[in-house]
Amino acid sequence: MRTGDYKQTYGELVALIESPPIWLWSAVLLLALIVAPYVLNAYALSFLMIILITVTGALGLNILTGYTGLISLGHVGFLVTGAYAYAILVAKYHLPPLIGFLGAGLVPALASLIVGAPSLRLKGLYLAITTLAFSFIINTVILEMRWLTNGARGLSVQRPEILGISFDSDAAFTYLCLGVATLTLFATLNIRRSRVGRAFVAIRDNDTAARVMGINLHAYKLLAFVTSAFITGLAGALYGIYLSFVSVEGFPFLLSIEALAILIVGGLGSALGAVLGTVLIVLLPEAARLVFSFFSAQLDAVFTTGAQELKSMLYGLVIILFLRFQPRGLVGAWHDIRRAWVNWPLRY
Amino acid sequence: MRNHLTTASILLATTLLAGGGAFAAEPGITDTEILIGDVEPLTGPPALLGVAASIGHKIAIAEANNAGGINGRKIKYVLEDDGYVTARTIQGVKKVIEVDKVFAMLGMSGSGQSIAVMPVLEKAGIPTVIDVAPVKLLWEPPRKNVFVVGQSYEEGIIHLVNYLAEKNPGKKWGLITQDDDYGITVRDGFDSVVKSKKLKVVYSGNYKKGQQDFSSDMLQLKDSGAEVFLAGGIIAENIAMMKELEKLNVKPVTGIFWPGRIEPVLKLMGPAGDGIFAVDYVEPFAGEAGKAFLEKARPLVSEAEFKGINRYTMSGYAAAKVLIAAIERCGKQPTWACTISELEKTKNVETGVMAPISFGPGIRFSNQKLQITQADTATLSFKPVK
Repeated sequence: MRTGDYKQTYGELVALIESPPIWLWSAVLLLALIVAPYVLNAYALSFLMIILITVTGALGLNILTGYTGLISLGHVGFLVTGAYAYAILVAKYHLPPLIGFLGAGLVPALASLIVGAPSLRLKGLYLAITTLAFSFIINTVILEMRWLTNGARGLSVQRPEILGISFDSDAAFTYLCLGVATLTLFATLNIRRSRVGRAFVAIRDNDTAARVMGINLHAYKLLAFVTSAFITGLAGALYGIYLSFVSVEGFPFLLSIEALAILIVGGLGSALGAVLGTVLIVLLPEAARLVFSFFSAQLDAVFTTGAQELKSMLYGLVIILFLRFQPRGLVGAWHDIRRAWVNWPLRY
Repeated sequence: MRNHLTTASILLATTLLAGGGAFAAEPGITDTEILIGDVEPLTGPPALLGVAASIGHKIAIAEANNAGGINGRKIKYVLEDDGYVTARTIQGVKKVIEVDKVFAMLGMSGSGQSIAVMPVLEKAGIPTVIDVAPVKLLWEPPRKNVFVVGQSYEEGIIHLVNYLAEKNPGKKWGLITQDDDYGITVRDGFDSVVKSKKLKVVYSGNYKKGQQDFSSDMLQLKDSGAEVFLAGGIIAENIAMMKELEKLNVKPVTGIFWPGRIEPVLKLMGPAGDGIFAVDYVEPFAGEAGKAFLEKARPLVSEAEFKGINRYTMSGYAAAKVLIAAIERCGKQPTWACTISELEKTKNVETGVMAPISFGPGIRFSNQKLQITQADTATLSFKPVK
């Protein structure tokens, strides 16, 4: 009798989605997301926009940190570079938004070559510090290049119009974010199951073994950096449009930490984990506020007037709890639940 | 039959009109309440200004409520924390407009945050009076529903440098600024006076936001022989600079800007801060108007809130007074259109904490009159300079 989750062919092993029900549920989710802008108010919609933009950025970081095992503490540097590239091309030089998005991907990708180069020699904490330094350097460069970036004064960015379609309204902009996030999700899932993705994972698991297997560490590490920076840059452009004003101050270092927290909570190395982690981290403070507001109006007031301190505490608490009790993140928890459901009453 | 139809039509039309009237009621207004929203940095270092501004709003609201509210309706204040993070300011503004459904907005966090929420406010069309960070992008171009109480940083710095230049002719000047929007504005204002007054600048420094150690900067300032010094820091930076100058045993004539003109700064500076000049558009607490404001505020806020009062409380109070007065002039059924129209008609409104406030057709910036004050460490206060 067949029990458990068997993969009997190589095709099954690299399938984009494991079973038809997952396709069905994914379609239902997509449909719900398409309907959402017509149902949600502006406040709820702002959460959806932030989730979709953050998912894009987290998926970008997941390629580098999750798939390839290279820790980056300075991904906000690519985010801000992407936002500025878009703002300069579209708001300053009045180029079409599509060119702006292309630039938002390409400029951070080029910058990543500079950061990626040391990664050929550095690992772990040393690489993390290098990327951290990059995020500070890029801020200084932006502030000093006033003739191009407007320095600390920042640049105003309008919602785009692409191929005659205006994304001015919140609903329309949500669709744009949804489109980019969906494409990014498909791209990263496909990268993961390709030869390139398997090379990334091999480097993460054991780079010496990967080299013995014939994987060019230099080329693949750089490729991971470039791909990750390209996607993060796109997220930066969307974030800049969401903010409507691109300045160094709008991209605090804390965003890098938040992105890492998303990957840890979601489950490192998993695209689904990046999505689940984003939803949890973005909605956690609001959910906590709603729960507490049921108990007392005073607690609700504490959450609105001391919100940011409480949010930081909640993030910290959640990360500690996940690292202690579920180090494989939400994806790990989901796999455990699914296995228990499928195999019950047997145990593995 | 025709008569019956006519009567029915009239009844239907009356019902629809009455119903339509009810539907047309603006958000944030019930029979007993009017909701006013605000988003400020209430946590983290910028909370020093956000909390103080919100206390100013609370004082004005409590004062109005004690006098019976706005035409019988009590004002309810809905306050949200953004932690000085732009994305959260946008979300906060959307929350108070869409979820809490406030009638009008006040305050609005820092300069970058205010600029970022402009499209949201403009699209919503909600009457808004901004008072925390007056920067030109908020009133140029003028937006129909957004009014700004205060004075521009550029004008402030020009006023201060002109004053110090007149009092110290022929002296050598030094300047240090922060590497952000605020610093650029201070520098631009300074540069414009340098050209016109032909000032001799011997030191011009720039520091990274968050810098704590100013030993090398102040040593360079000392070596340059600067006799008049414009400290372009905000709070902690200005304190560190003055302490460093004290260690180096030099005491140039020093000018600071209003974001740093708060009384606790003098306590932390100690004797090093004595005699420094500051520019501002709100009254100093050491003056008659300031004392009267504190007397008025004491019974209206808690002890903890009273301790949190600073100059931003005054600017917040003035903005709230102007907004409340405009809503009040709209009578029993205030609307956004009427409130905006009445805000536009604001002419020489006395708030007691700054010069009279005026707006006008196409004028959304109150352009407050400036004054110079001087620090007195003995009383830990800034006193008006005659």
